[in-house]
Amino acid sequence: MTSLQTATPPQPSPPTPAASARGLLRTYGQGDTLVTALRGVDLDLPSGRFTAIMGPSGSGKSTLMHCLAGLDQPTEGSISVAGQSLEGMSDDALTRFRRDHVGFVFQAFNLLPMLTAEQNIWLPTELAGRPRPALQDRFDHVVETLGLTGRLTHRPSELSGGQQQRVAIARALLTGPAIVFADEPTGNLDSTSSAEVLSLLRGSVRELGQTVVMVTHELDAAAYADDVVVLADGLVTHHLAAPSRDALVAALAERAA
Amino acid sequence: MRTVLLASLRTHTRRYGAALLAIVVGVVFIVVTAALSSAVRTGLTAGLSAPYDGADAVLDQPSTEDAVRLVASAPAADADAWLVGWTLQQVAHDGRVVRSSTDIGQVPDRPDHQWQELEEGRFPAAAGEALVDVNAAKVAKLEVGDTLRIGSGPAGLDVEVVGLADSPSAFSVASVYLLWSDLSRWADSLYVSSVAWAGPGGGGEAATAIREVVPAAEVLSVDRFVQRVQTEVNQGVDVVAIIVLVFAAIALLVAVLVINNTFTILFAQRSRDFALLRCVGATRRQVVRSVRAESLVLGVLASVIGVAGGLGLGHGLVALIRSQWPGARLGEASVSAGWILAATAVGLGVTMVAAWLPTRRVLAVSPLAALRPDDSTQVRTRTGRVRIALGAAMVLAGAAGLAVAIATAAPPALVAGGATAFVGVLLLGPVLVPAMIRSAGRVAARALGPAGRLAAGNAVRNPRRTAATAASLLIGVTLTTAVLTGMASSRTALSAEMDEQHPIDIALTGADTIPADAVERIAAVDGVDGTTTVIGASAEVSGLDPIPVIAAPGEAADGVVHSPLPAPGRRQVLLPWDVLGDGVEVGDMVTVTVGERRVRLRVAGGEGWGTAALVSNATLERLAPTARVQAVWVRAEEGADAEDLAGSLEAIAVPLDAGLENGLARRSYVDQQLDVLTGGVVGLLAISVVIALVGIANTLGLSVLERGREHALLRALGLTRRQLRRMLATEAVLLAGVATVVGTGLGTVFAWAGVQALVVPAIDGAGLVLPWAQLGLVVVAAAAAGLVAAVLPARRASRIAPAAGLAVE
Repeated sequence: MTSLQTATPPQPSPPTPAASARGLLRTYGQGDTLVTALRGVDLDLPSGRFTAIMGPSGSGKSTLMHCLAGLDQPTEGSISVAGQSLEGMSDDALTRFRRDHVGFVFQAFNLLPMLTAEQNIWLPTELAGRPRPALQDRFDHVVETLGLTGRLTHRPSELSGGQQQRVAIARALLTGPAIVFADEPTGNLDSTSSAEVLSLLRGSVRELGQTVVMVTHELDAAAYADDVVVLADGLVTHHLAAPSRDALVAALAERAA
Repeated sequence: MRTVLLASLRTHTRRYGAALLAIVVGVVFIVVTAALSSAVRTGLTAGLSAPYDGADAVLDQPSTEDAVRLVASAPAADADAWLVGWTLQQVAHDGRVVRSSTDIGQVPDRPDHQWQELEEGRFPAAAGEALVDVNAAKVAKLEVGDTLRIGSGPAGLDVEVVGLADSPSAFSVASVYLLWSDLSRWADSLYVSSVAWAGPGGGGEAATAIREVVPAAEVLSVDRFVQRVQTEVNQGVDVVAIIVLVFAAIALLVAVLVINNTFTILFAQRSRDFALLRCVGATRRQVVRSVRAESLVLGVLASVIGVAGGLGLGHGLVALIRSQWPGARLGEASVSAGWILAATAVGLGVTMVAAWLPTRRVLAVSPLAALRPDDSTQVRTRTGRVRIALGAAMVLAGAAGLAVAIATAAPPALVAGGATAFVGVLLLGPVLVPAMIRSAGRVAARALGPAGRLAAGNAVRNPRRTAATAASLLIGVTLTTAVLTGMASSRTALSAEMDEQHPIDIALTGADTIPADAVERIAAVDGVDGTTTVIGASAEVSGLDPIPVIAAPGEAADGVVHSPLPAPGRRQVLLPWDVLGDGVEVGDMVTVTVGERRVRLRVAGGEGWGTAALVSNATLERLAPTARVQAVWVRAEEGADAEDLAGSLEAIAVPLDAGLENGLARRSYVDQQLDVLTGGVVGLLAISVVIALVGIANTLGLSVLERGREHALLRALGLTRRQLRRMLATEAVLLAGVATVVGTGLGTVFAWAGVQALVVPAIDGAGLVLPWAQLGLVVVAAAAAGLVAAVLPARRASRIAPAAGLAVE
């Protein structure tokens, strides 16, 4: 199977990728306990598209996402995101980079329990010390789009799982980051809420031109993506553009080969 | 279950570290107290009988007159009598005042009764020779052959140091020993603890011989006397040990709070483990028993470490004091098995008590409930309301108790009221402390931005945990503040009283007129703030040795005296208390003669202006129309050293044959006593504050473990390492700060009640005095300590890479 696909992408791919990795190697531990999570990954993630990273447990998909997002440093290899090379950045520089260029949606523990929904959404802006008024219009728009208007004063414990994820998405979108990483965003949700969250993520790509990268192991979730990257044993085995369900199943099944 | 117990002990050992430390400190405190009190006890009781070797009988605590009569009568009865007693006199060496009140004792005349242990030189054999205590000599840098001037003015005596000696017993030690022929000139001012008698007839006739001189005397055998002193010493040491143990109890109470908090947090974190155990078939009893066994192991371990550490520290401390300050006269330390058992039992008991409630909570958790995510305790539960009501009631009851204490000046009501109100405040903690942190947090948020706001949020997430942590610090801070404020108030009240008793810092009174150039030299001495001259004349008072007569300078002395001197009436003469008694009493009529002139005056007593008769200006005018400068009164600069100043003035006074009265030295002595007392109490309380800070570090450390994912999320969202550290530090400082502010407030209220109930009735015009600088120091120190407590947890938290933190389940 090749990466050439019949289905036309909804938007033409721009020439510069939102994120790219070359020769990515990541090992943990030493000697007998040495674990190799990524063994030389080359990858370009086009901007303005919704990409899903798929693979079985232990395939290295979370590690790949952590490295691309500047949460973890690769053992070898280079990464550039939004035109910036992450190589050799200090912890502070990486933190500032994440603050300015990356948004996150995690599977769980997404929100700070002692802050209200609104405070959670504003948190990255505040941490960066950016003035609020400039973003107020975008905030209103995002909150309305995500249907959170009546929920802003609630704390996470007073929100349903789907609502919590919507707050997390709003937080990720507010600053207009170069790329949004979503790590199993639907892992804890029922199917209705999952569909809602995935539609919202896709909507942000379609309507706001956002770049979204989602790690998932659910076929249903991957079906919302434009592109799918399949990982097995620390290597990229396929990079499919808008694959059909059958093509995807085949690609995943092929991993052992 | 044993596998589970051992495995969980292995896994959680590090998390128990702080709880362990808290108990260890408490147990060490007890064992060190035991070691020190045993050393003090053996030191005090050692050699008690030595001064009475060779005596047939002892007269215990006779009046000064009886003692002096007995000693003087001995040669006539062909016996020897010597006294253990002291007079306090100024001692100068080379015109330098060694100490303005030095204890001078007696060395017996007969060599076989000379009980001092000679270390260098020889015993005095004739008048004008002195024996000096070897430790006192070391401190004052005196040697054999030095000449000392004892006393001041015309009554001063020059003696040569012929020997250095140690005292076998702490109860008979003096700095300087003189033969009776020299010492007897101060016979009136002697304080006598006992008189030893050795007669020709032995024990049986001694009592008769003594009763011939002192008819109503209680004569004891040497053995009985020593036994009696021993009992008194033991009781005294016991009282001090009990007082110190009260502070140990306070420290242990704080430890209970810290351990209780640790267990509560740990069990909350482990509730899933417990539920899992229940799910796989462990009964409630088994789970609870295993958890209690854990706390038992912790208690045993802490007690063993505490006892070992306490023994090491106690013996080390005693050895250090003995080698560095032999003058402290400590004996060997020996901690009895009873003390060790008691300390172990207390360590164990404290742990079990502290663990009891949290383990009961473990019991209440159902297997399924524990598997659901943990929601923090809300205050608005039924128990919360009961707690608030109870707390409010106790605060009110405590306030009422304090009011009763103030009205009746009853210490028990004061303690009961204070304790009740304090427990009430602790019960209100979960409402009070978070509310205060929230308002303080607003300030922190403005100053530190998002890190400050997050910290304030974190600090109030679990009100009960926050309150318990704050409570442990609150105890120490409240008591410290109360002590500091109470002491400052007493000090101010005392200093007003001292102003009346010692209105003049230093009075230099001449036997003759003081020449003008001497007055100038006095004014120029370093440390002299102001002087005033006092006119008078050399005079005779019937029935007394020659004594100058002076008249107070009135308004001219305003800047020099601390308070106005008593004003004698026109027909009155005020004589110092220490010249009264021998033949002349208050109320007697005496004739005061200056040259050819004389007046009859009625005697009244007083003190504070030196050795002189104080009369009104009109009387002096009649006695000596051409009165000249007879005395100079000196006001010392603030903080001037009493000994140095007296030394410089003594150098001027000696050639003039003038005497000094050093009110400043007595004043600084009282100040010093208060300083030592305050320092001692604050030092003892500091131990409980240290335990509380261990508790803050512990709570923060355990919370950091709990919030690993959350910190990783914050780091992912753009919180820098510095901001994370600052957030945790702010949380600790907010906690410590609020506890300190509440503690300072409460402590001040308690101090006010204490002053009203205890000091005001005793000293006129006393009131609450706030030692702002000291209180400020307490607040700053507590906040800084909070910061220090946050260092380790904050470092650990900020080192975790965000990706690693996200992986933690």
